[in-house]
Amino acid sequence: MSRAAIPFAVQAAALGAALALPAFVGVNSYALFVATQLGIYVIAAIGLNLLAGYAGQVSLGHAAFVAIGAYSVALLTVDHHWSFWAAALVAMVLAAGLGVLAALPAFRLNTWYFAFITLAFALVFEKMIVEWRWLTKGFAGVVGVPPPSAFGFEFGPRPLYYTVVIVTVIAFVLVRNVVHSRFGRAFVAVRDVEPAALAVGASPQRTKLVAFVISAALAGLAGAFFAVQKTVVTPDDFTADFSIFFLLTVVLGGLGTLWGPVIGALVFFLIPELLADLQSWRMLIYGCLLLGLMLYAPHGLYGALRQAWRRFTPSAPRTIDPAASSEAREHPPIAGLALEISGLRKQFGGVQALDGVDLAVPAGSCCAIVGPNGSGKTTLLNLASGYYVPDAGSVKIGNVEALGSAAQRIAARGVGRTFQTPRLIADLTALDNVMLGAYIRERSGLLSTALRLPSARAEARRLRQEALGFLQFVGVAERAHVEAGETPHGQQRLIEIARAMMGGARLILLDEPAAGLSMSELERLEQLIIRICGLGATIVIVEHHLDLVAKVAGHVTVLDRGKVLAAGDPAAVFNDERVMRAYMGERALKSGVPA
Amino acid sequence: MDFDVITHGIVAGSLYALVAVSFNILFRPTNVFNFAQGELVMLGAMIFASLTSLAGLPWLVAFAATLVAVGIIGLIEERIAVAPILARSQTGTGWVITTLATSLIISNLVGRFWGPDPILVKPPAPLSMDALEIGSARISSYEIALVLITLILVAVVERAYRTLRGKAVMAVAEDREAALLRGIDPGSLGRWSFFLGAAFAAMTGVLAAPILYASTSLGPDLLLKGFAAAAVGSIGNNRGALVAGYVIGVTEAIGASLLSPGYQEAVIFVVVLAILLLKPEGLFGSPNARTV
Repeated sequence: MSRAAIPFAVQAAALGAALALPAFVGVNSYALFVATQLGIYVIAAIGLNLLAGYAGQVSLGHAAFVAIGAYSVALLTVDHHWSFWAAALVAMVLAAGLGVLAALPAFRLNTWYFAFITLAFALVFEKMIVEWRWLTKGFAGVVGVPPPSAFGFEFGPRPLYYTVVIVTVIAFVLVRNVVHSRFGRAFVAVRDVEPAALAVGASPQRTKLVAFVISAALAGLAGAFFAVQKTVVTPDDFTADFSIFFLLTVVLGGLGTLWGPVIGALVFFLIPELLADLQSWRMLIYGCLLLGLMLYAPHGLYGALRQAWRRFTPSAPRTIDPAASSEAREHPPIAGLALEISGLRKQFGGVQALDGVDLAVPAGSCCAIVGPNGSGKTTLLNLASGYYVPDAGSVKIGNVEALGSAAQRIAARGVGRTFQTPRLIADLTALDNVMLGAYIRERSGLLSTALRLPSARAEARRLRQEALGFLQFVGVAERAHVEAGETPHGQQRLIEIARAMMGGARLILLDEPAAGLSMSELERLEQLIIRICGLGATIVIVEHHLDLVAKVAGHVTVLDRGKVLAAGDPAAVFNDERVMRAYMGERALKSGVPA
Repeated sequence: MDFDVITHGIVAGSLYALVAVSFNILFRPTNVFNFAQGELVMLGAMIFASLTSLAGLPWLVAFAATLVAVGIIGLIEERIAVAPILARSQTGTGWVITTLATSLIISNLVGRFWGPDPILVKPPAPLSMDALEIGSARISSYEIALVLITLILVAVVERAYRTLRGKAVMAVAEDREAALLRGIDPGSLGRWSFFLGAAFAAMTGVLAAPILYASTSLGPDLLLKGFAAAAVGSIGNNRGALVAGYVIGVTEAIGASLLSPGYQEAVIFVVVLAILLLKPEGLFGSPNARTV
C-alpha cells in the first residue's frame, strides 16, 4: 500500500478543480449535470472498491443497492413528504440492511457465493420493482422527486453539486482512514491469507460483513443523490448493466487502490461520450475491457500510473524512526499459558492422524514435538489452535477448555502461532503485518478509526511504535517498510513470530520455524526462542532440526503415526532406541549409525 | 394443487440439475466456478438450433458438432481467461471477474449473430412435444425422455469419477500440490475439465432447446438456477445436484402457481438463501477441513 504515490499537490489540484467547476459552467448546463452524476458514481464506486478491492468480495449486483437508496428517497420524499436528509439516512440503512440479509449465508462460504448471491439479488430486486406496482409504481417509476432543502433554502443544481462533492470527499477520507486502520489490514488479510486473519483473532465473517455494510450504505447514499438529481426513478435505471458498469469502473481505476474508483469513474465518463456511436456494442466493449484489465493490469490505471511514477522517482530508502532503533527496548515479561492436551484423536478419511495423544506443557516452558513426516505434528498444532475440530479428546489452554472454539477465539485468548510456510500478507509492509497482529488488542471501534478521533490516533501511534519494537526484537527492523512479499523467506518467519508476539500471545505455537533458514538465521532463531521463553511465554515448537530442539527445549515429545512414542528430557529421548528406529529405520540402527 | 405443477417442476429441475453437474465437472479439478456457464448452455442451444433448423444436419451429427464446438470455446476460455489468473494466484478470485467478462462477450456476440428471436427446435424423431394425458398429468414424450436421460447422465458422470482419471480429478481438487507430486498434471486436467464442462453445458442447451426454445435469454436464467442447484446440492456432489434441481424446479413451479409468475425468481432466491443459512455447505455436503 503506497500512500504517497499520488502526491499531495495532485490531490489538492483535483479537489480545487472540482470546487471551481461551477464558476465556469452555466447553472443548468449539461457539464454541471454530468459532473454531479460523476460525483454520485464515485461515492458508490468507493464503496464497491472497499468491498471488492480490499476485502476481496466481488459484488455483481451493486446496482440493486443504489436502487434501494434511490427508491427509498424517491418514495419517502414524494409520497410521504419526508425531508431529503432523513430519507437519505433511511436509504443507507435500508441498502445495508437488505444487503446483509441477502448476503448473510455468503459470508460463511467461499467468495464466489457472494458474487452469485449479489448477482441473483440484483436480478430478483429488478423484477420486484416492477412487480410491486402498488409501492414502486412499476415501469412508470416515481416522478417529481423534490430537491433537498435546508433552513428553508431549496438546493438548485449548484448547491446540489457542492453537496455531492463534499459528501464524496468525506466518503473518500472515511474509507481511507478505515483502510489504513486495523480494519483495513484485516480486510486484506481475509482477502489474501485467511489463516493469517484467524491467527490474529479476526473473524473472516465479521470482517467481510463490516466491509459489506460500509459498501452497501455508500451505494444507498449514492442512490439517494441519484434520485434527487434525476428527479425521476424508474426500474430501467438499475439493470444488470449498471452493476457491471460499477464493477468496470473500479477495475479500470484499480482494484484495491484508494484513488482507483475516482480515476475509473473519471475515465469512464469520457468513454461513453466518445462511444456514443457504438451504443449497441457497449456491453461487448465492457466485457473485453474487464477481461483485458484483469489479465494485463490487475491494479488498473492507478497501478499503471504508480509504476510509471516509481520508475521516474527512485524511492529513497526510508529510514527507521531513530527513537525506535536507538533505544534497545526491554520487553516486559509475559505471563505464559499452560497447555494440556489429553486423549486427542483426529481422523482424515482412512488415516488416523492422531490416536489418543497426551501432552502437558507447563506455563513458561518450551516444549518440542518431533517425529517423522506424517506423524501428526502439524495436525496437533492445528487442533490446539482451533483450525481443525478433533474427533475426541480435550485441549486445555490455561486451564480453560478450548475444544470447539473457533480459531479466532482461541487466538484472542492469547495463543499465537506461526505456519509451516509463512503466512504473511504479501501486499502489506512488514510493519503492517506485525500491526495486524494487534487486531484483537486494539480498542478503537470502526467509527472512531473512520473519524480518526484523537484516542484512535494515539492508540495507532502507540501500536506502531510497539510493532517497530517487536520487529527490532526479532531482528528485522530494517525491513519494516518493505512489502512482506519481497522479504526473504527466513525473515518472513521472524516477522511471523513478531506478529504472534504483537498479539500479546502467552502461548506461542511454532510450526517448523527452522525450515529453510540459513545457518546464521538459524542461530538468530535459536537466540530468539530462548529470549521469548526467558520473558515467560510458553512455547510449543514442532521441528525437524534436532540440534535446535536440543538447545531450546526443556521437554521433547516424539510422535510416530499419531501416537506418543516417547517423551521427556531431550538427551534421554534422543537416545531412546524406539525413537532412533522411528527416525532411521531398523537397518541403520543395527549397523550402528551414530545418532 | 395441480399434479401438472409437480411434473413441470421435475422437468425444469432436471435441466437445472444438468447445469449444476456441468458446473461441478468444471469445478472439481480447478476450484473455479465458471460465470460463463449459462452462456455456454445458451450457445449450445443456438448452435444446435442453427445446425438442425437452418443447415438441416441430421440430429446426431449436429449434436456431436455442437458439443465439440462449445467444448473448444470452453477450452479457449480456460486458456485466455482462467489459466493466467490461476497462474498468478491460486487463492485469488480474479477469475470471478474474468469469467463474468467472458459471459458478457459470448452473450453479446451471440446476440449480434443470431438476433433476439427465439428459434424453435424440434425433438428427435420418435419423441415429440405433444402433451400426453397420463392420469391427471399432462406431459410430453420428450419431457419424459429428458427426465430419464438426466438420471442416466448423472449416473454416468458419477461412474466416471470412479475411474483412475476421475480419481485424479478428485485428488487435484483436494490438494493440487500433492497431486502434482504423484505425477498428475493439474494443468492438463484443468483444460480437460473446461472442455468437458463446456461440452456438458452445450448438451444441456441442446436438451433444453425443444422445451425452452433457443434464445439469448437462456443464459442468465440457467446460470443462476444451475448455481442454486449446485449450491443447495453441495458443490461437487452430482447426486445432490440432481435432488436439489428437483427441489428448485418444484419450488419454482409451486411458487409461480400460488403467487404470480413474476415471483418465480424471488421464491427460489428466498428458499435457496434459507437453505444456505441453515446448511452453508448444502444439503448433501460435510464441512471441509480447512488446510493450513
